[in-house]
Amino acid sequence: MVGIGYRKDFSEEFLNSDIISPSFIEVAPENWLGVGGYWKKQFQKALERYPLFTHGLSLSIGSPDELDFQFLANVKAFLKETGAELYSEHLSYAKCDNAHLYDLLPIPFTEDAVKHVAERIRKVQDFLEQKIAIEIVSYYTPVAPEITEIDFINTILQEADCELLLDVNNVYVNAFNHKYDARQFIEQLDLDRVRYIHMAGHEQVSDSLIIDTHGEAIIVPVYDLLEYTLELLGRDVPVLLERDFNIPEMEALQAEIRKLSNIKETVLKRTAHAVA
Amino acid sequence: MQLLKQTRQYQSELAGYCRTGILQQIPGIHTGNVVQYRKLVMNVVDDILQNAYPLTYDLLTGAEWDALVAKFFAGHSCKSPQVWYMPKELIGYMVDTDHALLKQYPMLLNLLQFEWLETEMFMMQDIPVPLTRNGDLLFSKLVLNPEHRLMVLEYPVHRKKPSDIRPEDQQAYYLAAHRDEEGQVVFTELSPALLRAVEHLQERAISIQELYQLIEQDFGIQLTETDHLAIIQFIQQAYAEELIKGFAPVT
Ligand SMILES: [Fe+2]
Repeated sequence: MVGIGYRKDFSEEFLNSDIISPSFIEVAPENWLGVGGYWKKQFQKALERYPLFTHGLSLSIGSPDELDFQFLANVKAFLKETGAELYSEHLSYAKCDNAHLYDLLPIPFTEDAVKHVAERIRKVQDFLEQKIAIEIVSYYTPVAPEITEIDFINTILQEADCELLLDVNNVYVNAFNHKYDARQFIEQLDLDRVRYIHMAGHEQVSDSLIIDTHGEAIIVPVYDLLEYTLELLGRDVPVLLERDFNIPEMEALQAEIRKLSNIKETVLKRTAHAVA
Repeated sequence: MQLLKQTRQYQSELAGYCRTGILQQIPGIHTGNVVQYRKLVMNVVDDILQNAYPLTYDLLTGAEWDALVAKFFAGHSCKSPQVWYMPKELIGYMVDTDHALLKQYPMLLNLLQFEWLETEMFMMQDIPVPLTRNGDLLFSKLVLNPEHRLMVLEYPVHRKKPSDIRPEDQQAYYLAAHRDEEGQVVFTELSPALLRAVEHLQERAISIQELYQLIEQDFGIQLTETDHLAIIQFIQQAYAEELIKGFAPVT
């Protein structure tokens, strides 16, 4: 399965042509919750055609602030109403001192933050009565780190007993920005927990910095990293193409979807043979 | 609470930096890269506000707009988890802080309210209402489109370019905004009598004949044939544009 992030920017073209054929769509509940009128109709049409995966923005699982259970109740209702197959969120914080920031900030890699975040993921899972998938975010600076990133992530996954959304592009971006080996990083992850994969493009703004823009096509090394990841996984995991800005022609998006499907198929065949 | 005070403080300092641009000493921080967060956050906020208030953005000078956005985001704690709803908070912030721009541009508050109303109505949840399409405009009970709002303005921001509005334009303007079947937001300017008519329709489905009586009671007047015609004309237009959605089902 290869899906695409469904965006208002291309909704009209997306629904009125057969150029693009994803296996599912993904939306942020925040962008559609409580929305009626024109957009509700468009969304309804999309839901009639495609299974839905969701990827939240404002839960702020890593925040020092209290969890917003009113908001979570709305999300829960949305997941039920839309029959969403999955709810994922970011391993970051987007709200602090009772103010939303509308961006994903890096959590300090510390032991206390691990405990704090894991406890909150458990609470969210209990409330939603389902497991959630947590995404490793791209980050541009560490914040008062005391433990390694990999320990931070793996311990949270284990203590929260949640699933992992592995954004391969984010790992690539982080490995570049923080000068480590992306493959080694992926090898060390608790791969049994991978439920969902994200793929996207980025923008290199200097010799030492890549910004995770979701505004460009996926580059070859990130495709290679996906192939490597799928080989390690040896099983079928849904893959999503994220494109949030600088949206190209539908044909270009479909070409990326096709490429992702091809990689998946090839690797799955290869690993099936290896097992047999 | 598992989180140590120290960790909490670093998180607060990073968030504070994104909002204000003032960076505290945070251990391990990459001072060259951390600016990206401030940039990303402010880009999103500026973008969302510009999209919600394009006329306001045109009216203000670049410096006024930038200062407004910067001060708003630094000084106000945004409550909405949904970013599209966040621009509404700008109006509350400006009123609460008695913002100087509201005095400098007397029509600005109306302009912001008018612009926000359009966004909010475009996005608002659907409201189902029992009605039938079979009826007669002159005799059946009329059902108002529940997806509507009434608004009173002091300045004609719905008609004139904000920079063309003069102090002598100040008076009461009554406006109905509703959403049609296509999802478009339609504004209708109302006279005081038609405003009352819509207010009565807000309460229950009423026929034109009843409306005549209610308006006569409200204003203590006797409506003329010309008045009746004006009301009929309004109802016909309101029906065509879907401010009036249909007729009460006969039970
Ligand atoms: Fe992602």
